[in-house]
Amino acid sequence: MTRETYLLSRTALPNSHTLDVYRAHGGYRALEKILKGGYTPAQVIQLVKDSGLRGRGGAGFSTGLKWSFMPDPAKDPRPRYLAVNADESEPGTCKDRVLMEKDPHGLVEGVLIACFAMRVQAAYIYVRGEYRLPHDRVAAAVAEARKAGLVGKNILGTDFSCEIFMHKGAGAYICGEETGLMESLEGKRGHPRPKPPFPAGFGLWGQPTTVNNVETLQNVPFVIDRGPDWFKTMGTPKSPGNVLVGISGHVERPGVYEVPLGLSARTLLEEYAGGIWKGRKLKAWIPGGSSTGLLPASAIDVKMDHDGLREAGSMLGTVSMIFLDETACTVRAMKVISRFYDHESCGQCSQCREGTQWLAQIFARLEHGQGRMEDIELLSSLANGMAPAKTICALADAAAIPTHAIVKNFRAELEAHVTHKGCPLADAHAPHELEEAHA
Amino acid sequence: MTKIILDGREVEADPKKPLIAACHQHAAHVPMYCYHPGLSPVGSCRICQVEVKQGEMPARVTVACRTPVAEGMIVNTEAPKAHEARRQCLEFLLKNHPLDCPICDKAGECDLQDYSFAEGQGQGRSVEPRRKLEKRKSLGDVIVLDQERCILYSRCVRFFEEIPKKAQLTVAGLGSRSYITTFADRPLEGNYQGNVADICPVGALTLKEFRFQARVWNLTKAPSTCGECSRGCSITVEVLRRQEVKRLRPRPNPQVNRYWMCDHGRFSFDGLNTPGRLAGALVRGTRGLEPLEPHTALDALANLMRVHGAPLVVASPWLTQEEGKLLAALAGEATFVSPPPSALKDDLLHTGDPCPNRRGLSELGFAPLAAAEALTKLAGQGFALLVGERIGALLGREALATLPAGLRLVVLDTHPLDVPASELELGVPNAVERTGTWLNVDGIEGRLSIARSAPPGVAPLTRTLEELARRATPAEAAR
Amino acid sequence: MSKLEVLPQKLRDEFTELATHYPLKSSALIPALHRCQEELGGWLTPDILEACAEFFGLEPVEVFGVASFYPMFKLRPVGKHLVSVCHNIACNLRGAEEILAAACQAAGAKPGHVSPDGRFTVERVECQGACTAAPMLVLDGVFHENLTPDQVGTLLGSVK
Repeated sequence: MTRETYLLSRTALPNSHTLDVYRAHGGYRALEKILKGGYTPAQVIQLVKDSGLRGRGGAGFSTGLKWSFMPDPAKDPRPRYLAVNADESEPGTCKDRVLMEKDPHGLVEGVLIACFAMRVQAAYIYVRGEYRLPHDRVAAAVAEARKAGLVGKNILGTDFSCEIFMHKGAGAYICGEETGLMESLEGKRGHPRPKPPFPAGFGLWGQPTTVNNVETLQNVPFVIDRGPDWFKTMGTPKSPGNVLVGISGHVERPGVYEVPLGLSARTLLEEYAGGIWKGRKLKAWIPGGSSTGLLPASAIDVKMDHDGLREAGSMLGTVSMIFLDETACTVRAMKVISRFYDHESCGQCSQCREGTQWLAQIFARLEHGQGRMEDIELLSSLANGMAPAKTICALADAAAIPTHAIVKNFRAELEAHVTHKGCPLADAHAPHELEEAHA
Repeated sequence: MTKIILDGREVEADPKKPLIAACHQHAAHVPMYCYHPGLSPVGSCRICQVEVKQGEMPARVTVACRTPVAEGMIVNTEAPKAHEARRQCLEFLLKNHPLDCPICDKAGECDLQDYSFAEGQGQGRSVEPRRKLEKRKSLGDVIVLDQERCILYSRCVRFFEEIPKKAQLTVAGLGSRSYITTFADRPLEGNYQGNVADICPVGALTLKEFRFQARVWNLTKAPSTCGECSRGCSITVEVLRRQEVKRLRPRPNPQVNRYWMCDHGRFSFDGLNTPGRLAGALVRGTRGLEPLEPHTALDALANLMRVHGAPLVVASPWLTQEEGKLLAALAGEATFVSPPPSALKDDLLHTGDPCPNRRGLSELGFAPLAAAEALTKLAGQGFALLVGERIGALLGREALATLPAGLRLVVLDTHPLDVPASELELGVPNAVERTGTWLNVDGIEGRLSIARSAPPGVAPLTRTLEELARRATPAEAAR
Repeated sequence: MSKLEVLPQKLRDEFTELATHYPLKSSALIPALHRCQEELGGWLTPDILEACAEFFGLEPVEVFGVASFYPMFKLRPVGKHLVSVCHNIACNLRGAEEILAAACQAAGAKPGHVSPDGRFTVERVECQGACTAAPMLVLDGVFHENLTPDQVGTLLGSVK
C-alpha cells in the first residue's frame, strides 16, 4: 500500500486557490482529456464506476453507480441538476473546507466532469452559511474559470455547456441531508423528503438531480487524469483511494491529513496526530464524526475503511476522528453530542423530534447527577424506538447509534454517574456551564 | 384498480392513492395524524405503520401514507411489528403533550386519545419537564390555538396552502422547539378557518364558538345539508341533549364539498335555536293572535281556499322538493323569495346565492321574486300564503306590517309573524327537524334528516300540506 | 400596503439578479435573507420579512416559517457584534466552556442575550467546521481558532 497523496498535493503551494497555480499543476487536464478526447458521458460514468470511488460525505455509496441513476435524457428530457453538498456540518468534520479554501478549482473541475457525465447543465454549490472563506474562494474560482471559458456556454469550444451557481445555507445541519439540502436550495425549510421518490427521479424543483459531496467530486479529476487502475493502488479493494481524515480532540497534532483508506486507527492517531496529548492515555474515540459513536480504546487497531468499521459495529462516516483521554468523561461527551441532535432535528418525525430531545434530557440529567439506573435501559429503549430506518431521514439514526454505543461500550461510566450522583471525574471538568437563554 | 392482499383478503386498491387510502376504504384499522385524504401526504407523523411484503423482499414495516400500492402486495395492518412501531410513536408523541383531556374540547373525538387507547401503552416513561408554549392564543374570531397540545403534523398549514390556496399558518422554529403560528400574531382571515379545527387531530386548534360548550359524547348527530347557500355542503348537525344545535360540521362528499365547509355555513345555527317557536297554530281574534288547534286551523285554511280560490303562494327558498311539490299543487300562483346575492361568493364553495333550493323550486315551477316584488304582489292580492322557515324574515316584518287589511294572509313559519294582515299562522319545522331534499346549484340532491324533534304541535309541513289537500278535495269539501 | 420600500433599491436589484440563478424566483429567498441581515441591521424584522415575501411572491407567514428554521437568521434584535462560540464535541474537549465564559465576561452579556451597552450578542453554536483548530469563536462572521481564554478579551476589545 503506497502513501501517495494527491487531494492535498497542491494545497501547500502559495496561491494554490488561483487558476494559474491550478493549471500549472495539472489542473483542468482531466476536463480537457474528456472534452477533446471524444469521451462519451457513459464512458466517463464507467471510469468512475471502475475506480470504485465511494462517496466521501458520510454514506460511502458508489459514486459511479449514483451517477448512473440519472435517467436517459432521451426518455426524460426535463432539466437536470447537480447539487454539490458543501454543507459540512457533521461534528468533527472540517475537511471539505480545506479543499474549498486551498484547491477550489479542483472542485470546479470535478463539478464540470460530473455534469458532463450526467448531462447536467446547471450545478449549485450549496455552502454552509458559516463558511465565508470557503464560499468566497470557490466563487472566485468559478469566476476565474468562467473568464477562461471553462464555465458557461460551449466550454473549451465544445458543445458542452454548464453553469455553476453558488448558494448559501443558513446554519442547519439537516441541510446536509441530500433531500433537506434540496428543500433548502429551493428556498424552503430544510425538511428532508421521504424516499422514494429518489433525487435522480424527483430532485431539485422535481427534476432529476444528483447530490455529491465536495471531497468526492475533487477525487474525480484525478480518477480521470490518472485512471481507475491508479486510483485502486491506494486504499483497499472495497474502499480504494485516499481520504481526508480530520483528527481532533485530545491529541498532540490535530489536523486534516490525507491518508489511504485501510490504515489502522492506531496508525492515524500515533503517526499522524502525534498520539494522545500531554502524555495521557486513550480512553475513548469516535471514528467518523459524532454520528458514529464512542468506541473503546481496545478498538484502536480497527482498519479505517468502510468494512473494517462496520464489522466493529460502527461506521466510517466522514472519517472525522475525535479522541478522548483518560480525564475526559464519556457521559459528558454524550451530553454534548445528544444536545446537538436535539438542536438539529427538523421536527417532522415524531420519534426524532421528541426522541432527540428526550435523549438529550436524559444525558444531561445523568451528567448533572440526577440520573437513575433505569435511565440506562431507557436510553437503549428510546434509541430502538427511533432507529433503524423508522423516520424520513437518518438523523434519528445518527442520534440513536452513539446512544447504543455508549451503553454498549461505557456502561460502567453511565452507572457511576448514577451511583456517584454526578461525574466521578468532576475535578477535571470545567466549572458550572453557563445556560443559554431560551427565546 | 390494483389487486392487493389486505389482512388476508384480496381487495382492489386505487393506484392513484397511497396504501393508507385502500386500507381505510376496506375498513382496515390504520391510525393517522399527518395524513388527511383531502390534503397532500407528507409522511411525517410515522404512526400509520403497516407491514408490507412485496415480491422476494423481506417483509418490512413502513408508513402506509407514502407507500404506493403495487400488484400482489401483501399488507398486514395488524402485524405485531406494526403495532410495536405505533406504540413507540405514541410514547414519543405523549412525552410533551399536556394532559389536558379533562378541560380539552377535543376529548371524545381526539385521535391522540383514540389511538393511545388502541395502540399505546398505559404509562409513559418520561420524567422530563414538558415544553411550555402559549395555551390560549387567539388566532382571530374563529380559532383559538393551544401550542402545547399541538403535535406538529401540519394539516392546518397544508389546509390553508392547498384549499383556500393562501398560506396563513406555518411551523416555526425546528425540532423540539417547533410551534405553529401566524405571521406577527395576525389573526386568521377568510371564510374557511373553521376547517382547521375539524382536521386538527388533537385539541390544539379549536373553535371559539364551541369552547367549553359541550362534551361531544352528549351530542346526538344527524347527517344533513347546509342551507346557507346553493352549494348545499353535506354536514352533520350536532344537538346537545336533544335541545340546542351546538355544532355543524362538514361531512365528506366528493361531489359537492369534499371535506370542507365555509365558516358562514358552519356558524349559522343560532337561528335554529331561537326561542319563541310557533308551536301549533294561531288565529287572529279580537284580542290579537290566539292559540288554535292545528286541525281547526287547517279547516279554516281549507275554507279560505274554497271561498277565495287557490292562493298566491310566496314560499321560502328553504322549502324542500317534497314540500314544494305539494304546495305547487295547491297554489294559484307559485313564487319564492329570491334574496340578493351574497358577497361571500368565492372560488371554493360559497356560490354567492343564499338559497339552498333555488334550482329545485324553479324546476317545480316556482317563480323567483325579490322581496320588494313579492311585497308589491302581496299588496294587490286578496288571499295569499307565506310558506316556509324564514319567510317572515326574508320579507321583513316591518314591510309585512304595512300590508293592507283587505289581504287574507296565512303564514306558515317557524316563529309567529303577527302582522295585522295575518289572520292564521301555523308552525313548521326548521331544517334540522324534518326530512327532505334540496337540489344544489349543480342539481345534486342534498338530504335533510331529523336531528331534533320539532316543538310539540308542529307537524312536518308535508303532512300539513297533505291534510290541506285532502280537505280541499270535493269529497271532503262536501262534508 | 406595500413594504417593498423597506428594501433599498440596491438590494432589490441584487435579488432580481440572484433570482435569475434559479428556475423559480422564490428559491433565492435564503441568500436574499442573508443579504438583508447583513445590510439592514443584523436581524430580520417583521417588515423585512414582509418585504421579502412581497418581492418573492410569497406570503409573509411562509417567509417567517423559513427564516425561523435557520439558526443563522436572527428574528430578534442583536448586539452590534455577534460572538458565536462553538460548544460541540471537539471544541468542548479542548475548553469551549472556558472560551464561552471568557466571551460572556468580556462582552458583559449572558449567553443568548444582548449586552447592556448593545455592543455584543454572545451565543452558543453547534459545530462550525473548525474542529482541528479547537476551541474557536466566530466574531462578526470571521473564525478565530486555536483560542485560549485570555485571548478572548483582547479579541472582543478590538472591535467597537
